[in-house]
Amino acid sequence: MNVRAGWMLVRRTWSSWMQSRSFFFLLAFGWLIGPLIYLFVWATAAGQGAVDGWTRGEFVAYYLVLINVNQITYSQTYWTVGMMIQMGSFSRLLLYPMAPVFDAIASEIAGKVVYMTFVIPVTAVLALILRPTLSTTVGNVALFVIALGMAWALRFFLGYAQALLSFWFTRTDALLAAQEALVFVLAGQIAPTALLPAPLDRLALLLPFRYMLGFPVELLMGRLSGAEILTGFALQGGWLLVALSLYRLTWRRGVRHYTAVGG
Amino acid sequence: MSQVHVRNLQKSYQVPVRETGLKALRGVIRRQHSTVEAIRDISFDIEPGEVVGFIGPNGAGKTTTLKILSGLLHPTAGEVRVAGEIPWERRGDYLRQISMVMGNKSQVMWDIPSLDSYAVLGEIYRIPSSELQRRIDELAAMLGVTDLIAKPVRMLSLGERMKCELVASLLHQPAVLFLDEPTLGLDVSVQRRLREFIREYNRRTGATIILTSHYMADVEALCSRLIVIHEGKLIYDGALAGLLEKLAPFKLIRLTLDGDHADGALDLPPQAELIERENGTITLRASRADTSAVTARLLGALPVVDLAVENPPIEAVIDQIYTGGTV
Repeated sequence: MNVRAGWMLVRRTWSSWMQSRSFFFLLAFGWLIGPLIYLFVWATAAGQGAVDGWTRGEFVAYYLVLINVNQITYSQTYWTVGMMIQMGSFSRLLLYPMAPVFDAIASEIAGKVVYMTFVIPVTAVLALILRPTLSTTVGNVALFVIALGMAWALRFFLGYAQALLSFWFTRTDALLAAQEALVFVLAGQIAPTALLPAPLDRLALLLPFRYMLGFPVELLMGRLSGAEILTGFALQGGWLLVALSLYRLTWRRGVRHYTAVGG
Repeated sequence: MSQVHVRNLQKSYQVPVRETGLKALRGVIRRQHSTVEAIRDISFDIEPGEVVGFIGPNGAGKTTTLKILSGLLHPTAGEVRVAGEIPWERRGDYLRQISMVMGNKSQVMWDIPSLDSYAVLGEIYRIPSSELQRRIDELAAMLGVTDLIAKPVRMLSLGERMKCELVASLLHQPAVLFLDEPTLGLDVSVQRRLREFIREYNRRTGATIILTSHYMADVEALCSRLIVIHEGKLIYDGALAGLLEKLAPFKLIRLTLDGDHADGALDLPPQAELIERENGTITLRASRADTSAVTARLLGALPVVDLAVENPPIEAVIDQIYTGGTV
């Protein structure tokens, strides 16, 4: 796979999606409603004081950043990949001298551009109205960018590996829906993971979901100690390796199975 | 060396058996499977540049065979080489040499002009951009779609879309082209245009073409050779004319008589059999060997205004094979 082909794929998918951008804007609107509700819940709870050391302004900042991170790491393609396998249109991709995962990655990138043209202005306006409190450093921003990239890769490859289970099973979207539900509870959406009650907080630290969403936000806000940052990256890296291995495994076995039973 | 080499190809599937109604619950506990033999034992060779028609009734195993040849399916047993490669290894070198057009699956994207899809294909197949442009221009001109490739695909008719699809499939100049029902659902003139194009493309590039179609006109116009499969077995491999001779060893003679004699008594030669007599037109059947003697005799004995000797309709012959299962 060469970079130019990848770029052309992105451009093609992007221009195709821009044809129905209002549909994608509405989807993005739907996705930001959840975090927005929790923003208001926690901001109200903090009131003029603080909840576990979090002020109202910090909750606002946390959720506004989280809305953007969620949009960037949310992988819409794994829903479509499962469908393509079931409908047989995946065959078309198998005929190209290119690994089909690149097609999904290109849709991802194209999709982000479409969604972000909606989400960034919306959160910017919300920031003007709701006045977040965010003080960060260049170092934290750098760590945030790295963790954000890894969070995207982790969420994408774990989802893609699950979508590839469609090679064997007719419906895999239930599994994906379960993953999304766990992301909702354990990734930092319902509350920052540090505020979750025991033992959920410990579970959230160990499972992969926080590293898809909450971890980069906490890094940007400078809420983590040096040790927490190190263990965070170690766990995020570890889970990313697991996700990549699962992807390789399901891809190799899956394609062999697919070509054995027919698409 | 042949371009497509197939020996003792077999493909069977395990399919779950589900009972109806409440009995289906049994399947939850223990799944029942049955084996479907899609291809039983097929062997053939195709030389470079040949155009071969691959026909058979629905479910005969045509698409399964094409999928194996294009690398989308693993066979259960047998040996296959296409352009010297084992298709299902799906090596890049192999995939760059083939193309598959499926009448019901598209590779040009719906919302954007075909040209944009071509640009992506150009990069995937690593075609230099000036060369890509030349090929697009050439193929689009051959198919008469130069004005259409800049329009979003969803604005095009089915026939126009198929032409744009063909351009997309041929940009990388495949040495082997699989056409699965390329004229499906298209009107007669578009079908004819596509046939002319495929013939011309084969002549210009020497590509090997394997075509499946339910329209006998496609096969008749394009394929010097026909492979007929039925229930996963090869039942005929040879020229179309040979198949007709074998299956329909007779010809139809149609004659129109002078108005005064149109309904009068007929003195027919003994080798001719009367099939139909309607509105002054008479249809006779005679064996191929007797045809010339019979026509000579008819012309001498009857006031013939018009006479035509025809092969029986190819559809009727094919139907005979599909129903009987043998040649």
